[in-house]
Amino acid sequence: MRYRLVVLALAAVAAWVLPYGLSLYAIHVVDVAIVFAILAIGMGLVMGIAGQINLAQVAFFGVGAYMTAVLTTHVGMGFWTAAVLSVIGTAVVGLLVGTPALRMQSHYLGIVTLGLAVAFVSWATNSPLAGGASGISGIPAPTLFGLDLSSEYLFYYFELIVFACALAFGMFIVRMPLGRRMRAMRDDALAAGAVGAEVRSLRMAAFALASVYGGLAGVLYAGLIRYVAPETFSIANMFLLLAMVIIGGRHSLVGCVVGALGLSLLREALVDVSTYAQLAYGAVVALTVVFAPNGLAGLPGRVRSAWGRRRPDKAAVLGDFQPYEPASPDVVGGPDRDDWILDVRGVGKRFRGLIALQDVSFQVRAGEIRGIVGPNGSGKTTLFNVISGLYKPSSGQVIFAGKPATGRPPHQLAHAGMARTFQNLRLFHLMSVRENVLVGLDRSRIRSIWRYLLWPIGVFRDDREMHRAGDELLARFGLVDFAPAAPRSLPYGTQRRVEIARAMAGRPRLLLLDEPAAGLNGEEVRQLGEIVRSIRASGVTVIIIEHNMGLVMSMCERITVLASGSVIAEGTPAEVSRTPEVIEAYLGDAEVNDNFSAEDELPPATVLDATP
Amino acid sequence: MHSLRNPRRSAAVGVAAVLTLLFGACSAPGASEKAADTPADAAAVSGSDQAGSASPGSTDPIKIAVVDAQSGQLSSLGAWESKGAKLAVDEWNKAGGVNGRQIQLDVFDDQGDPTVGTNIAKKIASEGYIAMIGTSESAVTLAMAPVLAEEKIPNITSGQSPALAELKTSFLFLNGPTSVTYDESLAKHIVDEKGIKKIAMISNNGGYGKGEHDAFLAALSARGVTPVADQVVTMEQKDFSAALTKIREANPDLIFIGSEEVEAGLIVKQARDLGITVPFAGAAPQGTPVYIDTAGAKNVEGTIVSSPYLSNETSDASKKFAEAYKAAYNETAELHGAKAYDGTNIFLTAMKTSNGATGKALADAVRATKYNGLLGDFAFDESGVGIFATSIGVIKDGKLVAAS
Repeated sequence: MRYRLVVLALAAVAAWVLPYGLSLYAIHVVDVAIVFAILAIGMGLVMGIAGQINLAQVAFFGVGAYMTAVLTTHVGMGFWTAAVLSVIGTAVVGLLVGTPALRMQSHYLGIVTLGLAVAFVSWATNSPLAGGASGISGIPAPTLFGLDLSSEYLFYYFELIVFACALAFGMFIVRMPLGRRMRAMRDDALAAGAVGAEVRSLRMAAFALASVYGGLAGVLYAGLIRYVAPETFSIANMFLLLAMVIIGGRHSLVGCVVGALGLSLLREALVDVSTYAQLAYGAVVALTVVFAPNGLAGLPGRVRSAWGRRRPDKAAVLGDFQPYEPASPDVVGGPDRDDWILDVRGVGKRFRGLIALQDVSFQVRAGEIRGIVGPNGSGKTTLFNVISGLYKPSSGQVIFAGKPATGRPPHQLAHAGMARTFQNLRLFHLMSVRENVLVGLDRSRIRSIWRYLLWPIGVFRDDREMHRAGDELLARFGLVDFAPAAPRSLPYGTQRRVEIARAMAGRPRLLLLDEPAAGLNGEEVRQLGEIVRSIRASGVTVIIIEHNMGLVMSMCERITVLASGSVIAEGTPAEVSRTPEVIEAYLGDAEVNDNFSAEDELPPATVLDATP
Repeated sequence: MHSLRNPRRSAAVGVAAVLTLLFGACSAPGASEKAADTPADAAAVSGSDQAGSASPGSTDPIKIAVVDAQSGQLSSLGAWESKGAKLAVDEWNKAGGVNGRQIQLDVFDDQGDPTVGTNIAKKIASEGYIAMIGTSESAVTLAMAPVLAEEKIPNITSGQSPALAELKTSFLFLNGPTSVTYDESLAKHIVDEKGIKKIAMISNNGGYGKGEHDAFLAALSARGVTPVADQVVTMEQKDFSAALTKIREANPDLIFIGSEEVEAGLIVKQARDLGITVPFAGAAPQGTPVYIDTAGAKNVEGTIVSSPYLSNETSDASKKFAEAYKAAYNETAELHGAKAYDGTNIFLTAMKTSNGATGKALADAVRATKYNGLLGDFAFDESGVGIFATSIGVIKDGKLVAAS
């Protein structure tokens, strides 16, 4: 911390005295580089933090610059009025450009946004309002408190303040709950939705943020160059910006800034050999993507981990689970109580010709541990996906806690008290164990996003409270030693426990566990049983899909057996194990079993990867 | 980045940093900067001091910057321009330079990007270049113009956008006519002299195509002619049958093309395939070998071209220029090289007559220079345009010749 403080203070002093050592030419180059740095922060936020491939960032830049130019020259507004309107206007454009992200992701989104960027250049070249190919000249130089900012030195200080605020605000968002939810969405949108992140709204928020930074950069560009033309916002410059963000490290805003400043200055230094320089940028980008996916910003971490491998730290230990306080019996309920927490009525689900679920009905009482068993491909995970809102059932309905749950998005169900884990572990792998749990704890809504701008103290307080609760939860699950670790660096059993901790962070009323014992050793299975019993004792209803029959038989009050997408039996473990259909479907003779898997096996990957 | 720190403390640090900057900004360095205590500053200051005050006694080389696109889409134009400028400078240096001083010509690559252009403008100002031979990229020139005017560096550009003339800075000159002149001459020839009124237009939506479209349409409107078809294509398009079919339906007597060499050639080729037989017309790109080769010599027969430089065989001067160009670069000379050659010669002549003046004095000397060049007789007005006419040529047997 003290080290960082010193670095920051040194950087501030260096930035302050920098102009004294620079010629008029050099300060201009630096001024332009800072504009690109702000643009790159926006790009880092939308692409690196929120995981939305946005190739229209250069168009946001253009909208901001052109709006300032049009409003000052054609409409005759003052520079600052025009600047504020331009940033707002760019944010509106950003929201429009972001709408495709609601329907498509990854390279599809990249192609659409790239198309919009091309469309912008085409508009600028052909619109009389934008001055066509000759652009708009004669943008007035801004003055601030009597200072004439046409001096590039004064403009530098003005830019520096805007830049410092923009970077600080960006980093603030990244570290606070909003940024954490965005990063969770980037790592795994499905899991983020299941722990309560409003994925669609977050995508729009990411585009809005990126466009505000783009608009800001555009306003500064218009004030600095005082001329706008279509070429500045060309696809070539979009790829330069992309190179800045990728080389610098897209997951780190500081990395984006370093990439932008570095490449801007390098580009200027190599201006005499620009053909070769452009080839070199391409090569460096390709090498970065292959060998250093996190760019320059990722290098310190890699050096540290290489160093750490040579000098092993004291081994982190998975602590004991500390049981929850048992709730009073009338809250806990149990198999004898009459109130249903989950009522599945005649649910069917078909994927084109394939019938995954057919007329599935069952009820789960509050406080019960319910087991769901069945051969591979019998539709268990599909059933979980329907209950937790990832799939819309083709027929039937689901009632959760007395309210219809069918067709409600996963994050709403999460907020209503439903939590789940996944068969193939869906942790947010670029975030630490602590952050994984913090995302689970986070119950803030997108509608309170205004607080980031107007009441940051409140955001800080909430975050501190979340950290306190998070530390408590990590201690309860014995994960304290692993809090700063990356999930993928942990043993499989520990990762399973992290996922349960994340699900429990939201204080659910119903917990869905999808094969939690898969891949665990005997001792770990025993611990799992202990954890699940304690969770139930604290008043949470648990539904568990499991193949480990010992665990299911010893733990569950009632068991529902699925085969070929239908319920074939339900009852206590003893009852179920006597049912002839179960014996046939599960243990039965080899012939039946073979036919079963050949006809009805659903590849689990297909089921899980389908977006809701 | 993702490590979690105490948010309160980092906020405090951030506020401290911003405050430091705020206090720092109070003592503006821009003012003290001119006092120059570093070598870079000294260069900057001497650069701006030079402007306006001639130093006749000096024997240092005269520094002239050539700024054009050496990389990117327009790099072929940039290469021609810098070759034309270099040819002129080499001839002067061989003949003893300007009043005994040699000329140093340095090429800067603007990459076709206006922002890079402003960087270069600041750079040549701080490195003591007294004049600039500029790019055909009008947007880059427009971005650089205010900086060069502020730094008092006269410059002559290959751009032809009317917006350049509208700037009316006293430091910007054009080494050719504006696009308005090209299309005005063309419309005059077609409508007034040949009496063709059924005209179709096809142009692309890029910077050049859009400029040609607007200028030719304006010239037609001034004559009370409305085009029978007005098709716009994109710069990346390769198949023009939809646009050409519409033009065929309109049954024009002539088709105007506003597009670069290769695309124009493809358009003509596809038009002939669709059975369109009427002649085409256009500006300088439609007179080039690239256009003729792309379309096929038979297909472009009769194309009417408006250009200030019809061919290397037009006059003795152009023959001499083409020979020298061929000898120096082993390439055939063409319009862009000729324009840059003329512009450079005008500037060097002005330097000679003004006895090595710089800044405003040099700009005034350029304005006063009457020069008989490859493109015609230059006489600059206050907007910086020196030539107001183009010649009309026709492609006959695969060669561009003056129209009878």
